[in-house]
Amino acid sequence: MIALESVSKRYGARTVVHDVSFDVARGEIVGFLGPNGAGKTTTMRMIAGYITPTSGRVTISGLDMATQNEAAARRIGYVPEHPPLYDVLDVSTYLRFVAKAKGVPPREIASDLERVIAACHLEAVFRSEIFKLSKGYRQRVGLAQALLGKPEVLLLDEPTAGLDPGQIQETREVIRSFGQTHAVLLSTHILHEVTLICRRVAIINGGRLLAIDSPSGLQKASEQTNNVTLEITAPADPLRAELLSIEGVNGVTLRPMPGRPSTQVVDCQVDARDGIEARIARAVSARWELHRLERQQATLENIFLRYVRESAPDRREAA
Amino acid sequence: MRGLLAIYQKELISYFRSPIAYFVVSVFLLGTGYFFLYNVFMTGIGTMNETLQNMGVLLLIVVPVITMRLFSGEYTGRTMELLMTLPLKPWQIVLGKYLGATTILLLMTLATCVDLVPLYLYGNPETKTILSGYTGFVLLGMACLAVGQFFSALTQNQIVAALITVPVLLVFWFIGHLQSFQSSYALRALFGYLSFAQHFADFIRGLMRSEAVVFFLIVSAVALTLNTSYLQWRR
Repeated sequence: MIALESVSKRYGARTVVHDVSFDVARGEIVGFLGPNGAGKTTTMRMIAGYITPTSGRVTISGLDMATQNEAAARRIGYVPEHPPLYDVLDVSTYLRFVAKAKGVPPREIASDLERVIAACHLEAVFRSEIFKLSKGYRQRVGLAQALLGKPEVLLLDEPTAGLDPGQIQETREVIRSFGQTHAVLLSTHILHEVTLICRRVAIINGGRLLAIDSPSGLQKASEQTNNVTLEITAPADPLRAELLSIEGVNGVTLRPMPGRPSTQVVDCQVDARDGIEARIARAVSARWELHRLERQQATLENIFLRYVRESAPDRREAA
Repeated sequence: MRGLLAIYQKELISYFRSPIAYFVVSVFLLGTGYFFLYNVFMTGIGTMNETLQNMGVLLLIVVPVITMRLFSGEYTGRTMELLMTLPLKPWQIVLGKYLGATTILLLMTLATCVDLVPLYLYGNPETKTILSGYTGFVLLGMACLAVGQFFSALTQNQIVAALITVPVLLVFWFIGHLQSFQSSYALRALFGYLSFAQHFADFIRGLMRSEAVVFFLIVSAVALTLNTSYLQWRR
């Protein structure tokens, strides 16, 4: 439903987005992940039609954003990073305005308003002026605005920023329920959020798309860097020698446990092969007392940081 | 059409929910009332001519205050991102806002008609001249609004928008005076043609010349077209 074909954006000599291509299908929530200034917002704005790409093409349900802007815009619900609200209007007037501007037929406006107000839990502030609303409510009015007119595509630029935990959960529920029937692109820098609600993740940094895959796919791809951590009462040097003699263990770092110097905390870098934990456990427990052994999964944090760090030299070359 | 109407309604509601419209209209009416009292009761001449002339000058100060927020306010409120991503064409946004501002101008103009009551009670004014004068005033106001709205689109800062609009309108108002210093006929004709004051003066005298009507409409159209192209270019 959302398709980007080698989209770039340049401002003078500065390239903000380099040749980004990906697509989002119906019924799919894609997380758009990147540090601040990575080009997330610029890409979102190009998809929404607020700015036009310097080169490349954005299509929404097959409609070209550049040539069929109005028809494409009708299919998009867009929540910018800062909710675009008119402080002097009250919530109902504001939503009514957006519904009319989106071309919702007059007869359906009331029911459409009811639908989004229920979905975003805005009943309590329906008549309030927007400038009186708390940040959480402002965020949700911004989301409600995007849902008006039943768009097929939802673009959410950091929709949960500044919300309290309860509101975050409610907002995620709304997004998840829309994700079943819509195409949703969600930009965020909260990694946890991505694992919770996104089927696929696109990682962007320095304006380049570094990877796009499911969270578990990304995890699998980077399992080579997995660590096994153990706590064991043993002398340091024989322990290191023993561990390194095990097949599949590539590196070992030891440090004495704080407060208990006879016990070592060991990080082993291991291959992604199965049964490595068992082999380590067998080898060391025969000679020493093993307290804890844990295989650390590659968290999305680590994967993300690795991608971002790896892409950093590229950026320097380009500059 | 529906998109245009949505923008228009939103603009009108915004005007009346912010203090600026009330302030501006009050200042304008107070000023007009003062000039009317001065012109009519001090001199004892029962016409609107002088008052309309003064209203025109007052407009040069009032219009920038009405127009300054039109686009600058959208930029600073970050609502431009909403407007430009809604299924609206830029001309619908521009025209909707312009019609909203024009409605305020018409309301303002209508309110000054209070002055006509004593004029008709105690004097014997020429109705046709007054009608022509008011038509000219509205046309002048519409041209000024279009210019002010264009400058509002160019800057994020409302004050800057007003500060650019005032001198530009003053130049259009006073440019006719440059005629006296020109030996070239072409320049004299050009300065005369561009002068807001000279075209408006015809209306006040009761002279509804099509050339003057077209002039004000062209100024509005040019400013609105520039405004629309600017929004398109900004994407």
